[in-house]
Amino acid sequence: MSCVNVIEKDRNVIINPLKTCQPLGAMFAVTGINKGFPIVHGSQGCSAFVRYGFARHFREPSEIAVTALHEDAAVFGGRSNLVAGIENLALRFDPDVIGVITTCSSEIIGDDVYGFADTARGNLKEKLGEDADKIEIIPINTPSFVESHYKGYDNAINALVNHLARKDEPNEKVNIIPGIINPGDIRELKHMLASMDTDGIFLTDISDPFDAPLRPSKTKEIPYYPKGGTTVDELRDSANSLGTVSICKYAGSGATSLEREHKVPSAIETPPIGLQNTDQFVRNVSKFTGNSISEELLDERGMLVDSMADNAARYLYGRKVAIYGDPDLTTGMARFVGELGMEPTMVCTGVKYPDFNPDMEKISKETGSDIDVLYGQDLRAVEVYLKENPVDLLVGNSDGRLIALDLDIPLIRMGFPVYDRVGYQRQSVLGYRGGLYLMDLITNTVLEKYYEPTHWKLQQ
Amino acid sequence: MEPVIETFESRKSHMCVKGDGISIPVCDKASLPGTVTQRTCVYGGARIVLMPITDSIHLVHGPIGCAACTWDIRGSKSSREDLYKKGCSTDLHETDIVFGGEKKLYETIMELNKLYHPGAIFVYATCVAGIIGDDIKAVCKKAEEVTGCRVIPVQSEGYQNHNKTKGHWIGGDALLDYVIGTKEPEKTTPFDINIVGEFNVAGDLWGIKPLIEAMGINIISTLTGDSHVEEIAQAHRAKLNIVQCQKSSNYVAKKMEERYGIPFIKVNFFGLEQTVNSLRDIADFFGDTEMIERTEEIIADGLKEVEHKTDEYKKRLEGKTVALYVGGNKAWSLVRAFEELGMDVMMSGTKNGIKEDYERIKETVKDGTIIVDDANSTELARLLKKYKPNLLISGAKEKYISLKLGIPFCDFNHDRISAFAGFKGFVSFAKEVDASVSSPVFNLSSELGGGLNGT
Repeated sequence: MSCVNVIEKDRNVIINPLKTCQPLGAMFAVTGINKGFPIVHGSQGCSAFVRYGFARHFREPSEIAVTALHEDAAVFGGRSNLVAGIENLALRFDPDVIGVITTCSSEIIGDDVYGFADTARGNLKEKLGEDADKIEIIPINTPSFVESHYKGYDNAINALVNHLARKDEPNEKVNIIPGIINPGDIRELKHMLASMDTDGIFLTDISDPFDAPLRPSKTKEIPYYPKGGTTVDELRDSANSLGTVSICKYAGSGATSLEREHKVPSAIETPPIGLQNTDQFVRNVSKFTGNSISEELLDERGMLVDSMADNAARYLYGRKVAIYGDPDLTTGMARFVGELGMEPTMVCTGVKYPDFNPDMEKISKETGSDIDVLYGQDLRAVEVYLKENPVDLLVGNSDGRLIALDLDIPLIRMGFPVYDRVGYQRQSVLGYRGGLYLMDLITNTVLEKYYEPTHWKLQQ
Repeated sequence: MEPVIETFESRKSHMCVKGDGISIPVCDKASLPGTVTQRTCVYGGARIVLMPITDSIHLVHGPIGCAACTWDIRGSKSSREDLYKKGCSTDLHETDIVFGGEKKLYETIMELNKLYHPGAIFVYATCVAGIIGDDIKAVCKKAEEVTGCRVIPVQSEGYQNHNKTKGHWIGGDALLDYVIGTKEPEKTTPFDINIVGEFNVAGDLWGIKPLIEAMGINIISTLTGDSHVEEIAQAHRAKLNIVQCQKSSNYVAKKMEERYGIPFIKVNFFGLEQTVNSLRDIADFFGDTEMIERTEEIIADGLKEVEHKTDEYKKRLEGKTVALYVGGNKAWSLVRAFEELGMDVMMSGTKNGIKEDYERIKETVKDGTIIVDDANSTELARLLKKYKPNLLISGAKEKYISLKLGIPFCDFNHDRISAFAGFKGFVSFAKEVDASVSSPVFNLSSELGGGLNGT
């Protein structure tokens, strides 16, 4: 009988973290809004280091404003900084949405960001007249000392729908809460929806803002916005959709709110990584829309199964895999690894969600392999574990590259951040086609590492 | 007078063109809230100055983000330990905010000491540590007494100042107050020096160190590239400090002059001419005839080694324009190096410059050069769009602003992978600049009827 063995952190210190603080998740979420602008109410570093991280991973500019709190604000409060900040931002960038993102400092000093936002709104009305009304100013509470970036993303999406969603005529669309994923992933989701004749509203959509073309003629005016992102109208309209599919199971509050407030039914599931998780996604969309599953998707599924039949049994069966990263990517990936006949012997996430371990139990039963779950842990824990318990493959972000190097285990790069290779942000790991890409990546890595280079007969 | 670019009224005086009657831009002011400033925080300043100490653990006392977003982001290389690359945090939570984080900090230090037996544990204060009033000094003192390991408080609360340079100084203070002067060297020579303000990004130090050692000079320590804390502890016995990054480290050099009477000279190993001058200045300081002669041989050998090696690059780079937008020091230290490549520095700016930095820039650049202070992302984009340099030199946050406008970019910050200092470094520098500027992509048409460059 296969089982899950949960290993929790036995020390105070975090060494080589697998999580960061809430504001990052909120900055990511607001970036996915068309003409949406995040403003961080905190120190300059709170925006600067996240912009650096986004630039490094997405290889795109990242525009995040900051109120630049200084010592006087710590004593007297950050009112003047935030009010002036919102005004300057509105005047210069003409945004549709300003996401006001709090930090540890502003939460501890007790700044009333809702009140300050109202003041700024009033001031803007004096300066801009009615134009000021079209700027949505949305406070997002993201205290850095509570939970992680994942919670920050959840809080941001929830704040956006709570603030903007308005009941109106039904729209025949499906809302998607994508989680912290890549532009390539969102494009694959759009492809699957289109294949099922379904219009989606993404809460939110970073695919174009974080993967934009170089077209200087498009940048005549400065500042300029990248095209794409979810529009304010779409965000408002999310209350009228047929349903919400949250493909981040642990950050689905927005879906729950839409169900509670606007009777939009929700499905909150593990992301569509691999065969069965993608099946579930497709079924959910079909359930909400009543549209049948397209021939195109059935073919894509068939092609994944076809290649799994060819590759998985031959090259991957029984190989041990260790997976670390955000909770949804790791559960999704663990299940897929099991489908490929490999054993997800270790799964590590830097955060804690009550459902995580029961979810791993299910995967353990399904795959028949024992799983050691490093729960709320860090990369030091992964390293120590792997020295005792060797595996054939490591799956996770670039921060594990030195572990891979030291222990001579190949690393399949996945998640955020990936900064030591290019192109990963453009690929999808989601959907049947994402499954194919991942399986090929894994198989080729295995061939390169574990097969004799001179032995060409791969069929043997 | 026409402003350099359109921007907020209060920001216009932060940009000027060097010429008759113009002095320097307004600088060292708080950034305008609500703009996308390219600056970072005081904590970030302290962290980058100290992080290159390779045998030490760098522990961040705050919520997880301050450590998570900054661990191992500096491309400082090590020839020995790799402890400095670890990202360590006390990961403060709500209960710590309410009841104080001192106990957790103490236990964390104990754990780290037991796990790694590091040369030192540097404990960085973040905004939160400051606001909740944790007494980091007291915790460090107690932990040091119990462990016997150096436990060094760094009072780097992020919100302290708009200027990251304050963080550089705070990092310097940590060394001055707790490290320098705490150990006596086993032997001294008449020619002992410290290399100050050299962080070994991409291995720059290794282009400089062999030259200096060949002169017959004994390097006691480097502050702080590729260093161990016990070496810095002996730094007070140097006869001379040479300062490479004068932006971050003049402060430490001045303090060491006050406390220990160690004179300092400013050096610059970017570019051949500057490298030659710096080596001569060091030799002249000691005034030793033999050393002066040896130095001339080293210079002759160095120049001979790289002779004609940059000719091909220079051919392509001749007359091309370059804009510098950097932390501070490189706004002047790179100017001559670019001129040696035949390039024209048309703009130089810093994010955190203070008055003396801009005086320095003004002395270095030619008339007509735009000088900018704390340009935010919009201003930087407008400057690039309006003045169309052939190259921007800056860091990761600026890279994609530049590339999206079709303007070539070269990283001279933490993410750099080639060493640029010294004689051989100059060849790598020329090669990398050439690759950035001369790549055919920038001449390929992206839209009907126009190329990328200057569209």
